[in-house]
Amino acid sequence: MSCERIQQPTSRREFLQSAGCGFGAVALAALSPQSLLASTSTAALNPVAAKIPHHRARAKNVIFLFMEGGPSHLDTFDYKPLLNELAGQRLPSSFKPPLTAMGEVNAPLLECKREWKQRGQSGLWISDWFENVARHADDLTVIRSCVSSGINHAGGVCSMNTGSVFGGRPSLGAWVSYGLGTENENLPGFVVIKDSEGTVVNGVRNWGNGFMPAVYQGVEFNAEGVPIKYLDNPKGVSNERQRDKLDLLSALNRQFGETRSDNTELEARIRGYELAYRMQAEAPQAVDLSKETEATRKLYGMDKEETAVFGRNCLLARRLVENGVRFVQLYSGAGSKWDSHKGIEKAHSKLCQSVDQPIAGLLSDLKARGMLDETLVIWGGEFGRTPMSEAGDGRDHNPSGFTMWMAGGGLQGGRTIGATDDLGLYAVEDKLHVHDLHATILHLLGIDHTKLIYPHKGRPERIDQNEGHAYAKI
Amino acid sequence: MRVPLGALGILPAAVKKLTLFCYLLLGFRAFGAEDEARRALDKFFENEVRPILANRCYECHGEKKQKGGLRADHIGYLKAGGDTGPALVPGKPEESPLIEAIRYKKSDFQMPPKEKLPDSEVAILEKWIQLGAPWPESATGSVVLSEGGFTDEQRKFWCFQPLAKTQPPQVAGNWVRNDIDRFIAQKHAELNLTPAPEADAREFVRRATMDLHGLPPTEEQLASFLSDPSPEARAHFIDGLLASPHYGERWGQHWLDLVRYAESDGYNADEFRPAVWPYRDWVIKSLNADKPYNQFVREQLAGDEIAPENPDVLIATSYLRNPIYEWNQADVRGQWDIILTDITDTTGELFLGLSFGCARCHNHKFDPILQKDYFRLRAFFAPVQWRDDMKLATPEEKAAYQVQQDVWEKATAEVRGKIAAMVEPQIEKSVARALKRFNDELQGMVQKAEEQREPMERQLVNLCNRQLTRARRTFDALKSFKSDEDKAKYKQLQEELKTFDSLKPKPLLDAFVATDVGPAAPSTSFKTRKGEQEVAPGFLTLLEPGEPKIAPVGSSTGRRSALADWITRPDNQLSTRVIVNRVWQYHFGRGLVASSSDFGKLGEKPSHPELLDWLAGRFVEQGWSLKQLHREIMLSATYGQTARRELSGVALNIDPANKYLWRFNPRRLDAEQVRDAMLAASGELDLKAGGASEDANATRRSIYTIKKRNSQNELLRSLDAPSGFSSTAERQSTTTPTQALLLLNGDWPLARARKLASRVQTVDGAWELILGRTPTPRERETADAFLSKRLGGPDKPPTVSLRAEGGPEIFREKTEHERLLDQGNVWEGDDFSVEAIVRLDSVDANAAVRTIASRWNGGKDNIEAYGWSLGVTGEKSRFKPRNLIVQMVGEDENANIGYEVVASNLRMELGHRYHVAVTVSCAEHSVTFRLKDLEQPEAAAQTAVVSHALKGKLGYGASSFVVGGINKRAPQHQWDGAIEALRLVSGRLSESEWTADASRWSNALALWNAKGGVGELWAWSGDGKSTEAADPRRQAFTDLCQVLLNSNEFLYLH
Repeated sequence: MSCERIQQPTSRREFLQSAGCGFGAVALAALSPQSLLASTSTAALNPVAAKIPHHRARAKNVIFLFMEGGPSHLDTFDYKPLLNELAGQRLPSSFKPPLTAMGEVNAPLLECKREWKQRGQSGLWISDWFENVARHADDLTVIRSCVSSGINHAGGVCSMNTGSVFGGRPSLGAWVSYGLGTENENLPGFVVIKDSEGTVVNGVRNWGNGFMPAVYQGVEFNAEGVPIKYLDNPKGVSNERQRDKLDLLSALNRQFGETRSDNTELEARIRGYELAYRMQAEAPQAVDLSKETEATRKLYGMDKEETAVFGRNCLLARRLVENGVRFVQLYSGAGSKWDSHKGIEKAHSKLCQSVDQPIAGLLSDLKARGMLDETLVIWGGEFGRTPMSEAGDGRDHNPSGFTMWMAGGGLQGGRTIGATDDLGLYAVEDKLHVHDLHATILHLLGIDHTKLIYPHKGRPERIDQNEGHAYAKI
Repeated sequence: MRVPLGALGILPAAVKKLTLFCYLLLGFRAFGAEDEARRALDKFFENEVRPILANRCYECHGEKKQKGGLRADHIGYLKAGGDTGPALVPGKPEESPLIEAIRYKKSDFQMPPKEKLPDSEVAILEKWIQLGAPWPESATGSVVLSEGGFTDEQRKFWCFQPLAKTQPPQVAGNWVRNDIDRFIAQKHAELNLTPAPEADAREFVRRATMDLHGLPPTEEQLASFLSDPSPEARAHFIDGLLASPHYGERWGQHWLDLVRYAESDGYNADEFRPAVWPYRDWVIKSLNADKPYNQFVREQLAGDEIAPENPDVLIATSYLRNPIYEWNQADVRGQWDIILTDITDTTGELFLGLSFGCARCHNHKFDPILQKDYFRLRAFFAPVQWRDDMKLATPEEKAAYQVQQDVWEKATAEVRGKIAAMVEPQIEKSVARALKRFNDELQGMVQKAEEQREPMERQLVNLCNRQLTRARRTFDALKSFKSDEDKAKYKQLQEELKTFDSLKPKPLLDAFVATDVGPAAPSTSFKTRKGEQEVAPGFLTLLEPGEPKIAPVGSSTGRRSALADWITRPDNQLSTRVIVNRVWQYHFGRGLVASSSDFGKLGEKPSHPELLDWLAGRFVEQGWSLKQLHREIMLSATYGQTARRELSGVALNIDPANKYLWRFNPRRLDAEQVRDAMLAASGELDLKAGGASEDANATRRSIYTIKKRNSQNELLRSLDAPSGFSSTAERQSTTTPTQALLLLNGDWPLARARKLASRVQTVDGAWELILGRTPTPRERETADAFLSKRLGGPDKPPTVSLRAEGGPEIFREKTEHERLLDQGNVWEGDDFSVEAIVRLDSVDANAAVRTIASRWNGGKDNIEAYGWSLGVTGEKSRFKPRNLIVQMVGEDENANIGYEVVASNLRMELGHRYHVAVTVSCAEHSVTFRLKDLEQPEAAAQTAVVSHALKGKLGYGASSFVVGGINKRAPQHQWDGAIEALRLVSGRLSESEWTADASRWSNALALWNAKGGVGELWAWSGDGKSTEAADPRRQAFTDLCQVLLNSNEFLYLH
């Protein structure tokens, strides 16, 4: 079935009436009509209704742990003994000189001060910065050959989120919401939580909907207090007063709609306010950690000052996924705090410590609750760091070879994919560009990324701009 | 055709294949008969070759996808090839790129990319090409490729056809009101559709006013229409709307969407563009003046070449400045490439309605746009130079400025010399550091003499220089001095310099414009597998295969003038159709071509092709007048139809999408229309036209609010206003729960409802102000029931004022008038002014500060405490008593929390009436104080300018705006005395705007005047014994008004 372009209906009904190019499937209209269509008929009115994936999905949900600023792969998950052998020397001439953000190409190689051990049954190399995560070595699939197009933070973070170094495209979470819908309409399908007031590079557009409708955009949750902006009634307005208002609004809107019944947008609007009201009740409950046991809080490191913040966010992530949120993104170091151009030892030590136990706790907890199988946990940043030093004791950005890992989502753990060269500068084996990573994540969610299409200005847009390949062997 | 045996050297492994192979040979050599041979070849092809192509190649090079522009499912395509030329040469496998690729000899040219083909398959394809690449004729329909590689189908595609000379058809019936209707009626007749009845006066007036002004009609507008008995009433009304300056403010927004206008750079830093607003005003003014569209386009593309001395034309080239930009990008070469790409893509879709961007990396997959064409278009822009050194002024103004500037420079030469001696060496270092961030090549270019630089180098150096200039500009001299002595000396020199300020000419407006880098252009080339290919400027090869003649204009290449000339040619079938279609789309909610920025194959075909061509032709004939076009469209019976016709009958079956206009399309208001309509209803809309933008939390029309790409106003964003990253041809219309939360619980919408509630006393009044009509009996009943429930009985309008009279200007501890709380949730940002008429009766006996106004909770070390306060120090203050000070908590340069006391050292006498005026600026790191004792009229105002180090975020804390105290009850911090009047203003007020006559205060985010009482935007906070009782009636009316502002009737044109 083909649909020349996205229809521009004035009502949803009209949409449905127009040759099966239904709303949720708008983009997919040109594709197999069975795939990704709304799974229930009532849901057809609703662009975020849950949809059936293209193929059997290994994961249903995603928790993306974004270490913003660029964590060093060389000091965490990508062991390079040669680096310490050559430390202090210049990059051997056999290496192509890289383009670095700060330009210190000729600075000496910086040794890695970590202790490395092989972990678990699988013997994955993990440094002592992630002692706790290391206990889950056999659950991790470590991708050591990630590549990005963004050399600075603005481009890198934008690229890791949207596939493009420029703004204006939908983020991964938006594509997933678009493709799979949400399982709980009373909560947003895509939630973002930061670990501080710091602004993530580029701000809200990292979880923006780009050219898609706003229903797919990420909603920022505050970790403490009121989770969503404007979720609470205005000061001094009781629930009863709020309910009265909504009842009046609904009554007037229904009177207005009586003679305009074919304009389903009007109906959708009435529903929008009801959803908002239910969200007011449900969202606080979803993030209410008082129901968690002391043991659980401890598991996430919430009892210790250094891990309390990220621990809480990880626990929130679990609760949100439990409550049907499709895609949760947690930022560690919001505002490029992982960016360690100098003093990497101190900066990274602190950050690694702040996330290590919380992440390990999250993995243990998901596993214990039987949720790990269908939740894909992703760890990484916008790029890694260079083997060359910068400012003596720091490392520059390295988008040409870095590490991310995934766990859960039915993945066979204890494995590595790809490799960088002997100094961890360039990915050399099974290179996975950000486009490929996105395609692979969608693949794990049961979506064929080449078929998840959103028509925009005459172009069939895909998350990967037609350049990615899903690493199906994962 | 003879096949030497040797060429068939590699034998297929399988016996089956060998058999066929022999048969093939036999067929050739032994029988010789041509048809036999062909049959053998066909069989070979079908059994051996096609399966390989189908299994290995079609996935990426077939009907659906053509990677590298190549299709492999017909010999025609293979011979024509992809982006890099033919894929094969029949009979010559060694010269065929296809063979080279499948042999996997070169590491960067291997097909299929995933895995090498088995040797056997490679051999078969080699052999097939050796055999002359026979392709059975009958197997598929033939593909005819005409000259230039375009297919006939492509050449005949509708949008490339010249404008047809069409005549409005003759149709029966009396529905038709003008020629437009004839085309519509004809289609109706064809499809058995009937038009909807005419919209009634109210529907028509609201639609037309929203459409042309983006505002709801005023009572007077409606009345004037209703009282016009003439049959020309609609024409009069529309002419009136078109003549109003609000027309440009609405249609200007459409244009700004298309050119991705924004007032910030995008990217992370998202730096503000303070000088771009004159372009916005130029767009509005041009539309209001009905500037012919061809001229409108020409000025934007080449205003600098057309009238370089005329600031009103030059500013149009701001169009070339709209791309996103990253000021701290060290890779300026890469960045310039991105900028040119952005301009090219936008120009292609904006003016020509083609997705040119698709052809940047390969020939367009669906439309006849060659990759070369992309770069031909880009070449017009290749010489562009972004200019920061120009001013928006006439030559006379510039000359006058220079005369005065020379006077100032001469007078200040000495003191400036001394300042330079102090700071210049440090600045040089800072600039040198900035230079080091560039690679050696760029550093080399920067260090070259200007005349030795190639054009491209001049462009790159220009971008480098922007960063170097910035390093110079942002150099913090005071911080750079180590000794207090130097600091003092520097400050003193600055003071000295300021004494010459009266000699300074009034600054000219910076011009955010572009020109060419010079009369010679840098080369434009693009990469193919064959290497770099250089191109000259040119149009679509399909339409204009040659190269246009381009004559340099002054110191400019003349390229953009040539492009503008082509785009605005009366017979340009693309640009003329594109603009009339856009206008149609904005009127009807859908274009005649629904994909208004993509007329190509993936776009939609026109619903009324004859009408489209007729409109385009007529538009050109009528001098490219947009207003004539609006008039014609809006006076048609088609536009006059009601939207209130239900989908049924024929329409339901054949045209549910209303493509053929059997009614008017119902639509949700755009973001700006919603915001402006809310302000219009609440009576707060500030209709001031033009000038610098203001925060959208204030009350100006939306088009005049600040548009930062990364931090859009949340209300506008939530209602689908575009963020300005790329050209937006159609708005989304989304409904989300978070949007509902914002509209219901957000501060800004609530403040409008509160304001409204202060203006209405009855249900009817609310309906009239918000929906422009009286409620129906049923609605009145619903509203009465609501009020009744809330008030515990039927509503009775109050007969007396609820608020006590007496001493409304007095602020006193332990009374009910301790502090005044803002109910309008104002937001002043990081640059604002406070002006007040006050009298202070006492100061705190300790060190506490009597507060005039604040946004602060008194804290200093957490984010909730971000804020500020203006007040007067107490007896034991380390700044000495009665000192007028500002305290600020915000973010410092290192993004840490900073607390600062900025003391004016201007002292206030107790019991005197004062006029206080203070401007806080984080942008300039300064606070300006002005204090005038009103009881000593002859004495001059005292002033002080004091610097501080905070960068901003003063408004990010948890506090709201308070008069006479801080955000919590703290008697020692409260004012003791009178605050007769006070206003909070966004940004800086000029000297002339300061006035002690509070009745003349007009623009204000928040305005308190004791004479006017607290109204709805203020609430007294007292000692708790006598706090204002909740006023249930006021609350109920606020809620009623808010509900109406959220109603579908308010938000939709239906």
